Amino acid sequence: MLYAGIDAGSRTIKVLLVDADGRDVVASGIRDQGVDQEGLARELFTETLRSEGLSRRDVKRIVATGYGRDIVAFADTTVTEITCHARGVRFRAAEAMTIIDIGGQDTKVIRLADDGVVRDFAMNDRCAAGTGRFLEVVAARLGVKLEALGRMAAMARAPATINSTCVVFAESEIIGLLASGTAPQDIAAGVQNSLATRVSTLVRGNIEEPVIFTGGVALLPGMVYALETALGQSVAVAERPQFTGALGAALVAAGR
Amino acid sequence: MGQCSTKVKPTAKPHGCKSKASPCGARKTCESAQTTVEPLEWFGDMISHCLEYAEAAKAQGKPIVGIMCEYTPRELIMAAGGVPVCLCGGDPDTIPAAEKHLPSNLCPLIKSTYGYLVEGSNPFLEMADLVVAETTCDGKKKMFELMAESRPMHVLELPQKENAPAAMEHWVKELYGLKLELERRFHVRITDKKIRRAIGVMNTERALRRALAALMKSDNPPITGRQLLDFKSSISCLPEDFRMYDRALEIYGNGCPDRDLAGRVRVLMTGVPMAHGAERVLELVEDHGGLVVCMENCTGLKPIIDDVDASAGEPLDALARKYFDLPCSVKTPNAARRDSLRKLAAEYRPECVIELVWQACLTYDVETYGVKRFVEGELGLPYLRVETDYSPSDSARIAVRVQALFETVRGKAKSPRGSKAAGALKPH
Repeated sequence: MLYAGIDAGSRTIKVLLVDADGRDVVASGIRDQGVDQEGLARELFTETLRSEGLSRRDVKRIVATGYGRDIVAFADTTVTEITCHARGVRFRAAEAMTIIDIGGQDTKVIRLADDGVVRDFAMNDRCAAGTGRFLEVVAARLGVKLEALGRMAAMARAPATINSTCVVFAESEIIGLLASGTAPQDIAAGVQNSLATRVSTLVRGNIEEPVIFTGGVALLPGMVYALETALGQSVAVAERPQFTGALGAALVAAGR
Repeated sequence: MGQCSTKVKPTAKPHGCKSKASPCGARKTCESAQTTVEPLEWFGDMISHCLEYAEAAKAQGKPIVGIMCEYTPRELIMAAGGVPVCLCGGDPDTIPAAEKHLPSNLCPLIKSTYGYLVEGSNPFLEMADLVVAETTCDGKKKMFELMAESRPMHVLELPQKENAPAAMEHWVKELYGLKLELERRFHVRITDKKIRRAIGVMNTERALRRALAALMKSDNPPITGRQLLDFKSSISCLPEDFRMYDRALEIYGNGCPDRDLAGRVRVLMTGVPMAHGAERVLELVEDHGGLVVCMENCTGLKPIIDDVDASAGEPLDALARKYFDLPCSVKTPNAARRDSLRKLAAEYRPECVIELVWQACLTYDVETYGVKRFVEGELGLPYLRVETDYSPSDSARIAVRVQALFETVRGKAKSPRGSKAAGALKPH
């Protein structure tokens, strides 16, 4: 029997299937989030099953997580992304003590107890500054694709300082920097640094190693370095960081 | 209280009468109560009862006195023949009006209260003959200066140093000043006898509300925290309220809950008050699997835990003592708050603590760091800080935090590895 985790995030939906002991990822799929969130999740789920020649009957239990978890009506139950990230990370890296998850609209720092249970967590409030959405806005403003932002930042000579704690204000600040002739590379690096600084203030410097980095933003080259610099600690990117939440949900479904 | 009897609906269905064969004998009580409205319904209509009462009092020439803080002794106002009314705003819709004068980065409770003034839409404030303000928060203190431009106002200066004899002396003088002001303004003499009588009535109300709150100590509480929060009025000591408190104790006090609340995560809420209309966070907590068994804040137990010594030789001193000792974050170092949390945690056995902080409430927010350390370290309970305002735009974010907290609590309860920490929040 198989177990499914569905992570209905703010920007993308992820589906992941594991076998009964959780060791093998049988299938996975990802697509952009949209208006009909339930329909999109259902489609992705069906496609992911079909890609491996499976059917709904092969799946014993489905757990939904993520911002849109309550909309996934075909799930058996819902669990928050905080618990799912903890489960997903600990399953692969049993010694992990801290998780930094930067997704589309949330940034979370999750601290784990020795036994892997969530000890506490901190996350951003209303504002989306310091999240994937923030990076998208910046990439659009700098005229590059999101994936290219990290490469661009790597070429910075003197990273700019971005002070604003709000996406809208930060965007105006970037427009101002561009107008004053600051190199886009320096702005890109400055944005990564400001994001990393925000993570470090979120936890008030209270981070225990090993630190595992999850969420879509972990895929951007340069972000790990920016985080390591801001925290003064080493940070490891989770295996397939975008799927950590879905993996955790699948493991919860499997009772692992 | 005759003026309120028109509100009583004789056909209202009494609480807890669903089952004919009620095992705990509640049926008899229910039958005998066929002619009265049930307490929850009564307090659900609290504002209109208070309004009727205030209007009738005003018509009889009694002064209406607005208050905005639990440090203000209602007893003195009552002893002056006045009606103390709480003006604390809980409505997000009055905030835009307030922001014409006040900064947006200010506590929503202050803004909402002031917005009512700008709109002229709080009938209690409109009929108030006096507002008794206090210096229990810098935001309120400065807001009161603006309010004083159009309202008669008397300011109580609360000294902030906990357990300091000089601070206490000053507070006694401040209450004496209020007494003189009330006598002068309303042409009355406030005798010790009148103060004692008011103390007696207020003590009765505190005892009734305490007894209701104490029902939550049960492993299977008869009501939710949201329902308990409704058991109070903007005007204290309405005679019909007293009857309803008694009635509620009769219905819920016999251990006959009509719902099974035993499986919920027991929560102690602390931090800022939840004014009428600003119950959103409490509702989110209870909508996601929690049961708020204890509220250690100014709309909960904080002001009603201690009575005023009714037999004291100097009743004014007794009032000063009781009110000065309230553990608000404005006090320093406010060690009494931890003592209170320790005691309440032992009595109500919460599984976690959620602290609510209104945006820009500096003193409560700074205190969160120490409270978190205390709750996790000394009480050994998970702690969650929720900072928000009256706008519902972050409800989903708050819900995810609350749910994650509960998953942790349940994970701990079920297995040391937390391997079964699943939602149970959505039935399947």
